[in-house]
Amino acid sequence: MVSNNGDARAAIRGWLQENVTGGRDVPNDEPLIDNGVMTSLQTVELVVFLEDTFGIVVEDEEFDEENFGSVDAIATLVESKAA
Amino acid sequence: MRIRPEFTLHDLLYNAVARDPQKTAVVDGDDVQYTYEDLERQSGSLGAALSEAGVGKGDRVGVYVEKSWEAIVAMLAASRIGAAYVNVNPLFKAPQVEYLAGDCDIRVMIGDTPKLEELKPETLQTAFYRGVQPEGQAARSYTDVAEAMKGGGLKEDRNVSESDLGTILYTSGSTGMPKGVATSQRNVVVGAQIVSTYLKNTSEDRILSALPLNFDAGMSQFTTSLRVGATLYLLRSRLPGDLLKALRRHEITGVTGVPPLWALLIRGARSLRENPLTHLRYLANTGGRIPQANLDELRNLLEPAGTKIYLMYGLTEAFRSTYLAPEEIHRSSPEQGNCIGKAIPNTEIMVITKEGQEAAPGEPGELVHRGPTVAMGYWGNEEATKRAYRPNPLAPPELLDVERVVYSGDTVKRDEEGYLYFLGREDAMIKNQGYRLSPEEVENLLLGSGLVHEACAFGVENPAVGQDVIAVISLRNGSEEGAVDRVREYVIENGPPYMVPKEILVRDDLPKTGSGKIDRKGISSAYSNG
Repeated sequence: MVSNNGDARAAIRGWLQENVTGGRDVPNDEPLIDNGVMTSLQTVELVVFLEDTFGIVVEDEEFDEENFGSVDAIATLVESKAA
Repeated sequence: MRIRPEFTLHDLLYNAVARDPQKTAVVDGDDVQYTYEDLERQSGSLGAALSEAGVGKGDRVGVYVEKSWEAIVAMLAASRIGAAYVNVNPLFKAPQVEYLAGDCDIRVMIGDTPKLEELKPETLQTAFYRGVQPEGQAARSYTDVAEAMKGGGLKEDRNVSESDLGTILYTSGSTGMPKGVATSQRNVVVGAQIVSTYLKNTSEDRILSALPLNFDAGMSQFTTSLRVGATLYLLRSRLPGDLLKALRRHEITGVTGVPPLWALLIRGARSLRENPLTHLRYLANTGGRIPQANLDELRNLLEPAGTKIYLMYGLTEAFRSTYLAPEEIHRSSPEQGNCIGKAIPNTEIMVITKEGQEAAPGEPGELVHRGPTVAMGYWGNEEATKRAYRPNPLAPPELLDVERVVYSGDTVKRDEEGYLYFLGREDAMIKNQGYRLSPEEVENLLLGSGLVHEACAFGVENPAVGQDVIAVISLRNGSEEGAVDRVREYVIENGPPYMVPKEILVRDDLPKTGSGKIDRKGISSAYSNG
């Protein structure tokens, strides 16, 4: 699982760099929503990316700030589904 | 029980307290509840502390906190001492806040500590902070807002009239920086009366506040809820999971939002079909047209469970203007066009041609709003005020120039039955995620990076968000490696997310018009034509 851990975080950070932050790498614990890093629509795009990349389904009720508040939180959600 | 006539925002508070002091006024987060009595007591304490800090009648009090109990208390505290509250978009970054604080001379800013710490030294005279004591010198003096809300209350409210300035609502202007729409106590109160009338709000309602409070339509959930003594549920998140959970957990009866919010709600289609929102009495849209496919889907998902859908249209300069009643919703369709309904109660909507005459049915003209929500004008901007706030063109000449109406800048037509249809706008304003945004503001932000020589921003239709912001720039030092990434990074750090261009394209040189200005129209149509 350790490698899977690293993979999820790296993939999410890579996606954020490419699609949201204009190249800036985002620390794993940086608040994404509170700081207005990501808009809600970008979060929708991220969910599509996660579902495609990891073959998971994010349920409607899981699509919230608790699960999408930071790279760490998103990775935890992805891992719990991929496990 | 003594019910007062409704002149000021705090009259609405006293009436709610008189009817039921123990009724829950606000729910902040999942379970933190406050009664109307709490709202009266804490707004009195905060009002006294603001007075003590030197806030005089007519002074401006900034509210730069995340949507929260404190933000609600602050608006009423300011109202009770005859000050005007200025709700600042929590997504604003330091440059926008510094501009706004200077533009309307904020006397006291009530802010979240991390946000205050971002500001330049001496941006503010006094700050009331939420959180730990801020580091740095953004303000000359600091007060803990939590302490201020616990202190001794006001002996009595100041003498406030409906003609006093109630709030300033900042909105993007078609040129330059955001403009403050000076809104009177009367505008605020009448706005609450009108909206609560057509949405048929009662004290039984549980109203979701999903929009930001700095937005006229977002403030409206608070003022209408206060007026009828309902319960307001504060939702900060705009993610679909949180929205769905809030609607269910609190058995919300009324929700108002902008089109992107509904796109997110529809994502929960399966959950909505399996477990319909039976408590939701109405859904009201504002801030742009819902793409037809989304509207159809929303109707399919919500109407069978009894939810009524209102389509509203308004401009900050006159708070709210029209709405399409739920039973008429079929009038907004691809065949008939973007129907925005009829005037809100107590209001007249005129369609005025270029010649200044009332347009015939079917003939395009400018939407002109007449009624008690017409605001006082743009703060400190006489020229812009004279352009938008003009004498009523249809008044009898004997009335001279006493009544001012708002020219919206929107082109509409009226059908034989009196229904209004939105046709377009003349200026280059961009509508992104429910925000009205001027291209110049985006261009100024890009130029502020110091890397950009010339910038041109414009909107490109995208039904999911309204319009995407696109920027074409030329660089100061030619095509430098990684320059666009650095520009993008600068923009993200110094502007709210909705101002960040979806695409930034680099050209050696930007096309100009005959008069030497950057040819925004030409660049925008060249982009759209690939």
